[in-house]
Amino acid sequence: MKKIVFVLFFFGNSLISQEKFPEIFLKTINGKPINSKTTYNDDGLTIYSFWATWCVPCINELDNINLEIEKWKEAKVKIVAISTDDSRTKRRIRPLINGKKWDFFDVLIDENHNLKRALNINGIPHTIVTKGRNIIYRKIGYKPGDENNLYDFVLNNSD
Amino acid sequence: MNFKRYLILILSFFGFNHVLNSQILDNLTSSFESFGAYYIDDSKTGDFSLDNRFRSNNYLNLKSNIKNKWNFELQIESFEPEPLLNFSPNFKKTNISTFNVQYVNTNLNIQAGNFYEQFGSGMILRFWEDKNLGINNSIRGLNAKYRVNDNIFISTLFGNQKKGFKYSKGYIFGFNSELDFSKITKNNSTFLIGFSYVGRNDKKIKNDFYKGTTNLFSARLDYSSNAFYSNIEIIDKSSDPIYIFGTLSDTFIKKGSAILLNSGYFKNGLGFDFTFRRLENMTLYSERKAFGNEFNESIVNYLPALTKQHDYSLANLYVYAAQPNVSYQSNELTKVGEIGIQADLYYFIERETLLGGKYGTNISLNTSFWNNLDGDFDFKNQNYNTELLGFGKKYFSEFSLEIRKKWSPNFKNIVLFINQYYNKKFIEETFGEIKSNIIIVENTLKINDKKSVRLELQHLSTVDDTKNWSAYAFEYNLSSAFSLYFSDLYNYQNPKNDKKIHYYNLGGSYNKGLSRYTINYGRQRGGLICTGGICRYVPESSGISFTITSSLF
Repeated sequence: MKKIVFVLFFFGNSLISQEKFPEIFLKTINGKPINSKTTYNDDGLTIYSFWATWCVPCINELDNINLEIEKWKEAKVKIVAISTDDSRTKRRIRPLINGKKWDFFDVLIDENHNLKRALNINGIPHTIVTKGRNIIYRKIGYKPGDENNLYDFVLNNSD
Repeated sequence: MNFKRYLILILSFFGFNHVLNSQILDNLTSSFESFGAYYIDDSKTGDFSLDNRFRSNNYLNLKSNIKNKWNFELQIESFEPEPLLNFSPNFKKTNISTFNVQYVNTNLNIQAGNFYEQFGSGMILRFWEDKNLGINNSIRGLNAKYRVNDNIFISTLFGNQKKGFKYSKGYIFGFNSELDFSKITKNNSTFLIGFSYVGRNDKKIKNDFYKGTTNLFSARLDYSSNAFYSNIEIIDKSSDPIYIFGTLSDTFIKKGSAILLNSGYFKNGLGFDFTFRRLENMTLYSERKAFGNEFNESIVNYLPALTKQHDYSLANLYVYAAQPNVSYQSNELTKVGEIGIQADLYYFIERETLLGGKYGTNISLNTSFWNNLDGDFDFKNQNYNTELLGFGKKYFSEFSLEIRKKWSPNFKNIVLFINQYYNKKFIEETFGEIKSNIIIVENTLKINDKKSVRLELQHLSTVDDTKNWSAYAFEYNLSSAFSLYFSDLYNYQNPKNDKKIHYYNLGGSYNKGLSRYTINYGRQRGGLICTGGICRYVPESSGISFTITSSLF
């Protein structure tokens, strides 16, 4: 126990906040590999929403954004929906996004949770906003109405 | 005493998780999770008869990198004084669970230590972590990946698999390749081919009847165009002894195989998906003696149940678990695998139409059925021959219809109807079969931008097993940070009066920044609890439980 506290102390003292979005290989919905560094908006804001086809609040969040998609387009924000579905439910992604007409979202798949793990995400929904590669906002969970706060944040942080 | 020790632990984990300012390493990030419970005696479900009423599972993860070339990860886990009910006894006290060093450049990625990996759909190999299920089956060894060019990707791995804080005796080695032939196709379609090999060497158990090494080969094809996709995966597994009557047989030695076919079409608000899967003697453990362990330890490949994953408690009462194994229990109860299909249909009814209303309506249909393989089963002499496309005794079937509709800016609901057949005799190897109908209505009312309420009503009707159940849940979101709930699950028609038990739960959650805290008081239903197609048995219990999760960036 003492040893571990010592180890923790060593690491604990060296903690600093990381602000960069990690570089991890994801897959497109067609199964092609894509590096996460090519997914953010170089000179603007990007919203990363971690979701899954079985996660009801995640879908509610993306549905509610999609309902007023025009105002998000005007805010010039890129929206990337990162699915954490594994092989059990992954096949539902394409029919679902088409059925829901999530046309404006870039949908990518983090099947074995490499990006989720790299970002220390413990549960979904989880929303991240980046400016270029820098992470400027993170939020756990989703409750009805949260999308309005997110929209205000985007407006306040756009150039 | 135990609780005091836990508090010290939590405070140190939590404290360190929040200490800032680095002089040594750049880019250090951490996350912390704690799941605790205090079990109490319950007049309905019985006294808590084990040691240590207070139990907790704690995880601290630290990551760092140097110059974007070198990544380091350390995860310390602590099960003090004991893990939560029905977690593997291989999780003992506090120890290092994961440590790895990774070198990354544009085309090369080499990882030493504990790593996670998946080949294809995972049907041949998947190493992953799910804390709720108690699964962390990473490999400790070496994993190297190389991108030869834009179209060729290869990787290889070697190591021992983790089980709790221990490691299995068997060795796992694997090779994977992914080839992109999209350039030879016209228009924007994608055409991918993959080959994998996985070997498991279990030197501990080897004799004259079978080899120490079991080999698996897989081939995959994946085609996608703008509106259509189709993929197929085939696996061949070399001979392996069958586990029968608690021991490995010297004479009942069989090959295994898997076929997975998935295809779909989508256009203009309509989506259709179809899956066929056949598994025969397909489970692979990193050590043979781990067969059938209740903690899902030492499993190399991922074979989830291919049924709709439900979010509602009554829909998860009789939930299917995939049946990939050979199991000879009696003349009437012989299983050698599973064969079946799943189909989904999604349809979006446009806005501003008669059925679509102002906001449109989402409709989804799902159906699945899973059967034993058909063939000649010789129980007495322990042998079988199967037919490739024969459907044997039915294990499970389900039909569901889900309608999601937003009625006004502030009100929406979900209606779900499910018809299920569950062959308990074959799935759980006990007796009985259950036919049930389930109806669920979920309503969400947004009061303002911060406040909302959610009411979930559920009913399951069946004349089988313990008859009808009802359930409801009420959730009140006071703000984007605070939430309270109350739920109850009640087997009101149970033939035994003392089994008519309310499984009530009440609790709340609080989010602040990147931390989330939850507390729950109530009674937990025992039985098969399933997440993501993987199930584990949990005993009935009552008490207070809480979780803390926190990430730091």
